[in-house]
Amino acid sequence: MSDKALLKISGLHAYVEQFYILQGVTLEVPSQGAVVLLGRNGAGKTTTLRCIMGLVPKCSGEIIFSGEDIKGLPPYEIARRKITLVPEDQGIFALLNVGENILVSQRQSSSRGELARRLDFTLSVFPDLKLAWNRKAGTLSGGQKQMLAMARALANENHLIMLDEPSKGLAPLLVKGLGNVIRQIQANSAVLLVEQNFAFASTLGDTFSILSDGKTVLSGKMSELLENSETQQRFLGVSANEGLRR
Amino acid sequence: MGRAVFRFPSINSVAILIFICLVALPLVTSSRSAYSMVNMIAISGVFALSYNILVGYTGILSLGHALFFGSGAYIVGVTMRHLGPSLPMLGLAIFGALIFAVAAGLFAGYLTLRLKAIYYAMITLALAELFVIFAEKWRDLTGGWDGLNYKVPVAIREPVAVYYLVLAFTAAVVLFTRRFLDSPTGKVIVAIRENEQRASSLGFNVFRYKLIASVVAGVISSLSGVVFALESRFVMTGILSVEKTLEALLMTIIGGMGTLFGPLIGAAVVHLTGDWLAEFAKIHPIFERWPILFGFVYIFIVLAVPGGVMTGWNRLAQWVATKSGPGKPTKGDRNE
Amino acid sequence: MKVLVILTVNGLATGFLLFMMASGLSIIFGLMGIMNFAHGALFMLGSYVSTWAYLATGNFFLALLAGIVAGGGVGILAERTIIRPVYGNHLGQILTTLGAFMILNEIVKMLWGPNVIPSPVPGGLEGDFTVGGLTISRYQVFIIFMGIAIAAAVHFVLNRTRLGMVVRAGVENREMIQILGVNIRRVFAMVFLLGTALAALGGAMIGPTLGQIGPFVSTQYLLLAFIVVVIGGMGSFIGSMIAGILIGLINNYVVWLYPPAAMPLNILLMSAILLIKPTGLFGAEGGR
Repeated sequence: MSDKALLKISGLHAYVEQFYILQGVTLEVPSQGAVVLLGRNGAGKTTTLRCIMGLVPKCSGEIIFSGEDIKGLPPYEIARRKITLVPEDQGIFALLNVGENILVSQRQSSSRGELARRLDFTLSVFPDLKLAWNRKAGTLSGGQKQMLAMARALANENHLIMLDEPSKGLAPLLVKGLGNVIRQIQANSAVLLVEQNFAFASTLGDTFSILSDGKTVLSGKMSELLENSETQQRFLGVSANEGLRR
Repeated sequence: MGRAVFRFPSINSVAILIFICLVALPLVTSSRSAYSMVNMIAISGVFALSYNILVGYTGILSLGHALFFGSGAYIVGVTMRHLGPSLPMLGLAIFGALIFAVAAGLFAGYLTLRLKAIYYAMITLALAELFVIFAEKWRDLTGGWDGLNYKVPVAIREPVAVYYLVLAFTAAVVLFTRRFLDSPTGKVIVAIRENEQRASSLGFNVFRYKLIASVVAGVISSLSGVVFALESRFVMTGILSVEKTLEALLMTIIGGMGTLFGPLIGAAVVHLTGDWLAEFAKIHPIFERWPILFGFVYIFIVLAVPGGVMTGWNRLAQWVATKSGPGKPTKGDRNE
Repeated sequence: MKVLVILTVNGLATGFLLFMMASGLSIIFGLMGIMNFAHGALFMLGSYVSTWAYLATGNFFLALLAGIVAGGGVGILAERTIIRPVYGNHLGQILTTLGAFMILNEIVKMLWGPNVIPSPVPGGLEGDFTVGGLTISRYQVFIIFMGIAIAAAVHFVLNRTRLGMVVRAGVENREMIQILGVNIRRVFAMVFLLGTALAALGGAMIGPTLGQIGPFVSTQYLLLAFIVVVIGGMGSFIGSMIAGILIGLINNYVVWLYPPAAMPLNILLMSAILLIKPTGLFGAEGGR
């Protein structure tokens, strides 16, 4: 793997309350393209993302982003370095309206002009949100909330966008639309994607990394994984019939 | 050749030593103020000890604990005043106090089931204030704001008699509490404080144990109020108030939350230092507000040395043990 | 009828003062998860400093300012020394804010003695004026106007400024707002400062209504603040206003009818809410 990786994680161990969740995670995310983090439920995928975002206090190991060790920094400092996370529950502020959700997500460290530009860009990708600008975000449908969550990630310049199971709970048609959005995002940012839906994930990622019981067990090119149904079965519980063959 | 081993005294032996000294005190002096100081420390100490059962051992933060203390005291006081200072009446009063303590303890325990910690603190604050208001408004019965004085049965009028009553009571409570905390029930209670979810998932009926702890703490507190009433022959609304509960909290924190002797040590520290500082008040009025010093000490301990005096003791004991070479390990007071 | 109007006016006035104290407490809890047990003491501090300043200078607005500065100053100090070290530690927060409560009580007793001191109505706001045959106290009306102005100001900040947006979002989901890049520590400090200053202002204005103030103010009003916050809902500004006014009115009506029932009734209401809907009338579920 290249030296020019945007994000390099090695030897990551983490405790959440008294549980030893991450027991040795190694991961690399290049500055272009998407990396998919796979594994069964409870393997530690979400915790890995949260460690990167600075939300897990008991974390040890190295998290190097653009040459800087960001482990231990508070979340807002991580965000300032142009990293963001769309959590599993999307984190939409139900009592604020759609517009406020987007505006509040814009980091004040960028210039006004820059923020305005990005806002226009975001709204061009998600025109529906412009229509819903004054609606309370809690009244949006599941799919719309997901779009809003994505829009918040786009509303700032981000070098790394982390997505935690974005397709969860979405109808298949919406999942397709989501895929297009993520592909669009990839044009400008690196993406680290956690997904349970392997079929969906495999269409998006160039590289993959599999976690099992808190440890990294395998990484490589997505194309290789797609051909190897035995690996799919072993680590992801995906049967040969459900898995994709190239 | 054996090395002389210096064993850091166990807290139990120190406690026994102090107790023996206290028992012998009347042989050495008949100073009322000496008795009074010991009485105050002992009574506050027991009150704080009961509070510690709730806060330190079970992990329930109540701001209304003075209710038990005050009600115990008031029931005795009011009975002595209105029904006459005889032993049978005293017995009746104590009986009444116990009934009330058990009922209130059950209710308080029930509330812990329904409310999260912060809400529990708030509602206990409210209920305590409610009783203060009752005590104030019901002047005919309680003497209101000015308080109530009364006589006690002849048998307990002599200062020495009261003194030994207090000592006996304190010893009894300490022994009982030790037994209680060492019992299986007590151990479950500590487990609940450490990790309620785990205790629950291990199959313990957390609620039942909290209820037991509430009642035990309430009854001990109520009895300390009874003894207080007999010792001081005067009750006033302050003993029901939040301030009184905070006093117990202060003593518990200073002495060491979650340790058996901590609250008693805390009581001693607070009363002795307070007395000493009050002496200075004669020199300069600013020392009249010595409680402020305790506020600062309290915050310092909460932030810096959460274990209070007992932690210091235990650490010292461990340090001495390592320095004095192989020998029997010190029997520190059991604490969590 | 006359009595009803007077009671209502007084009730509204008290209600607004309660709202001032409770809204800060409520938002601090909703955003920071801290139940500031010292809040009642800040209210009391405001009343003492303001009364003293008025008696010393004769200028009421200067006195109010002094109260606000005292409250805000203590708030800043407290946030730095005893709140920050215990973020996230619930027991620790209760303990340290209780400690601050104790200390502030003693400081007040140290500076002004343990007994009550008189708190006169400032010149210019004394007396009553007659409207349509009814006599209404000028000072109470003043409080109501101030209350409305402050409520409007807080509403403006909450809904039309970025800080307000961040606070509202943070009350709902503290973690997400940090992910989005907000330096939550700075927001906490600001909110705590505003909350304590507001409580002190409320206290500054209550003195003349009561006629005299004493150390009892801290416990009594802390309790009332809790009641208002619980009923109105943690983290809800609207809730504290409505509940504040409600409690203010109820108190005044009941006190007139049967004084001893007032506080028990309040406590009953609080208990009912705690047992039925602990998040209060307008409380937000959440605040992770």
